[in-house]
Amino acid sequence: MSFKIEKISYQYSAEAPLILKNINMEIRPAEVTAIVGPSGSGKSTLVSILSGVIPELMNKGLLTGTFHHKDDVMISVVSQTPENQLFGYGVEDALAFGVENLGLSSEKISERVESVLNLLHIQHLRKRAVSTLSGGQRQAVCIASVLAMKPDLVIMDEPVSSLDPKGKHLIQSVVNQLRAAGQTTVIVDNNLDWFSDIVDHVVGIDHGEVVFDGNRDEFFADAPLAQRLGVIVPQTVDIYHELAKKADDLKPFTTVDEAYAALKDRFVSATSQQAADTQSPSEHVLEVNDLSKSFADGFQALKKINAGFEKGKIISILGQNGSGKTTLVKHLNGLHRPTAGSVTYLGKKTTNKSVAEISRDVILVFQHPEHMLFEENVYRELTFCARAQGIPFAEKDAMEVLENYDLLKDKEELPVNLSMGKKHLLTILSVLFSSAEVVILDEPTLGMDLHLRRHLEAIIHKLKEQGKTVILISHEIPLVFKLSDQLLVLDHAEKLAAGSVQQLAENEALFEKIQIDLPPVVRLSKKLGLSPLACDVASFAAQIDELQKIGGAERG
Amino acid sequence: MGDFLQYVELNSFLHRLDPRSKFVFFIIMSVLTSFVKSGAALLFLFLVFIAIWLIGGIGSYILVLANKVKVLLLFIFLLWLVLGLFTVNEGPAIFRSGFSLFGHAYVFSLEWFDFYKGAVYALRIFLMISAFYTVILTTNFSQIILGLQSWRVPYAVAFGVGLVFQIIPMIVQEFATIMEAQKSRGLEVDKCSAFAKLKNYVIVSLPLLFRVLSKGHAISLAMHYYKLNFKVKRTSYQTISAGRSDFWFAATTIAATVMTIVLQIRFYIQI
Repeated sequence: MSFKIEKISYQYSAEAPLILKNINMEIRPAEVTAIVGPSGSGKSTLVSILSGVIPELMNKGLLTGTFHHKDDVMISVVSQTPENQLFGYGVEDALAFGVENLGLSSEKISERVESVLNLLHIQHLRKRAVSTLSGGQRQAVCIASVLAMKPDLVIMDEPVSSLDPKGKHLIQSVVNQLRAAGQTTVIVDNNLDWFSDIVDHVVGIDHGEVVFDGNRDEFFADAPLAQRLGVIVPQTVDIYHELAKKADDLKPFTTVDEAYAALKDRFVSATSQQAADTQSPSEHVLEVNDLSKSFADGFQALKKINAGFEKGKIISILGQNGSGKTTLVKHLNGLHRPTAGSVTYLGKKTTNKSVAEISRDVILVFQHPEHMLFEENVYRELTFCARAQGIPFAEKDAMEVLENYDLLKDKEELPVNLSMGKKHLLTILSVLFSSAEVVILDEPTLGMDLHLRRHLEAIIHKLKEQGKTVILISHEIPLVFKLSDQLLVLDHAEKLAAGSVQQLAENEALFEKIQIDLPPVVRLSKKLGLSPLACDVASFAAQIDELQKIGGAERG
Repeated sequence: MGDFLQYVELNSFLHRLDPRSKFVFFIIMSVLTSFVKSGAALLFLFLVFIAIWLIGGIGSYILVLANKVKVLLLFIFLLWLVLGLFTVNEGPAIFRSGFSLFGHAYVFSLEWFDFYKGAVYALRIFLMISAFYTVILTTNFSQIILGLQSWRVPYAVAFGVGLVFQIIPMIVQEFATIMEAQKSRGLEVDKCSAFAKLKNYVIVSLPLLFRVLSKGHAISLAMHYYKLNFKVKRTSYQTISAGRSDFWFAATTIAATVMTIVLQIRFYIQI
């Protein structure tokens, strides 16, 4: 069954601007359709119209146009926060909730519950409490609870945005199962990377208008459009576009294997002249020594961790959820006190300092900006850290920051009214006005499209240029490899490895153990025999360029 | 903090009971502790509670509760003690003295009875709270909804009650996280005066309000996605039924109630 949207326009009130302008599109049966577009483009409003929230729950706006579907059509939505969507203590309760609302007999409900447990291979979760599930498992149960209602259309709104790599893999396989089962699915997510193998159809929206409607490969071929829409595409696609700037005849590729096939004969494999990682270590601004942490319930979250964080470096902490990453950084800023061992800043123990005192040296930005924002406007929020820590600042500098990061027009806006990505950017920007020499960012990309990520990268580089140490926790592995100088790898509360990105990228067994895939650019570099390994697209393209010149010189 | 005010997953006899048995227990104990003022009767009831908690394996969680409410209980105890100082009671006095203030004569009298009275009121309050807490610790919100539905409580009400118990732990967790986030940004709540601490706690309430509103919005959307309509009759996947344990639990509750009433009648001291 297909769904046709014809000439849909919408504004939230008669005085408000049009959010959607004459939208025409079709959602084809048994296909996975991606709806992409920058923050504020109208994606969420379109989801509200498709799901019936507009006009059933929100009926004050002006909606024109037609959404063609059967009368008894069932459309349901999987949100990005399953904890706000699952009703029921146990997994079975949560799965049955929607079906119970349909008034089916208990035998029918049992059948439906069994069928989704089998379809998504989550039988092993059926007796678990929802609160004990991991993020990925919770999202899988959420999808299953929606599927149990046998919807004609399932809409998923950024379903993996807060998941770790293991959780993302689980949801990838779940969406794959749905596609195989012929389920019509819409995924609203500006990160096309995680479902690029699954998506059939892409619809791009910008400023409330459809600016692209085509298949996946057509979308990937149009790099300027993806940039304009702020869509994160697979790294292999970025590699192709970067290389294609200098090689018109390069055949398009989207996977590492295709890229290898396209590139293997185009250059002579040799050690690049690019500087390998030969920098001598600088002083440790922050150290943890034999750090262990056990909680009151006996759970041991950290086991004898020793690590040093060098001044002026970007250090990423890698590991699956539950590996101890957040517990470790909460020790660095004093939120947790060690059961054994110590944390030292510039050689002095931080034990007797309050968290606020430590924040003058080591500041932690939380992953959910809504936990941090409370000022009445964006300007005051930006300068909150400086005021809380008694650090002088010039209004001119604050205005300049707002202008540089596209927030000047929102200066007087209530921070909570900003988009999720902008809220996050604002909390991160506020640390620019703090005195802290160490800045810890916990999942800083949450809610950010490509444009905001570029800003984030600029902020991190700026902090590094100022000689500050940046500690990063992120599940966006290509971004981690692109930005970081060093990695600290944790697994089951223990430190597995630490070293430069280049060094650790060589260690495939390490990444297999923590079940994190190396970024495509690193895998491709390995396949092509590049040395040193390229960890980001720009350095990969530079190396290939150099090797092509060598190859050309040898041949010619 | 993590386990406070929420269901704890264990496989004890209390957890396996029909939720309705626990509701009845809670109602009886609430009524009983509202009327019983005999120290001996309350002490007996307390011993029964202790036995139930220990057999149910939730003793450590009740200790957490006691720790959380100790200031309240101390306040109640001291309040009745101070009020008792201005009343002359029968029985041995510890200290007694007369004085006049603005031409009025007063007697300042501290007796052992004042301690008894304070202890009785504090124990009553603790038993009331802990009866409720015993149900919360051992009944998850899905069972609460099922139990209420089986008593013909409208689904909208039952669902609302269940939702409250689903959301309370989330809000507690949100508050803790917001406090951590604000401290991390430099808001001092550890090394500051009581007034500054209070002011900073008020500041924290704003993001909490926004989070709660945003959760409320997300939950109402989810109710729409799941086609929840309180006007339409819905069916149920899980069922509840009383078993042998429920019989013994009900028998114990009734026996304890009878015994408490007997003790109240025989050992009541006017307070």
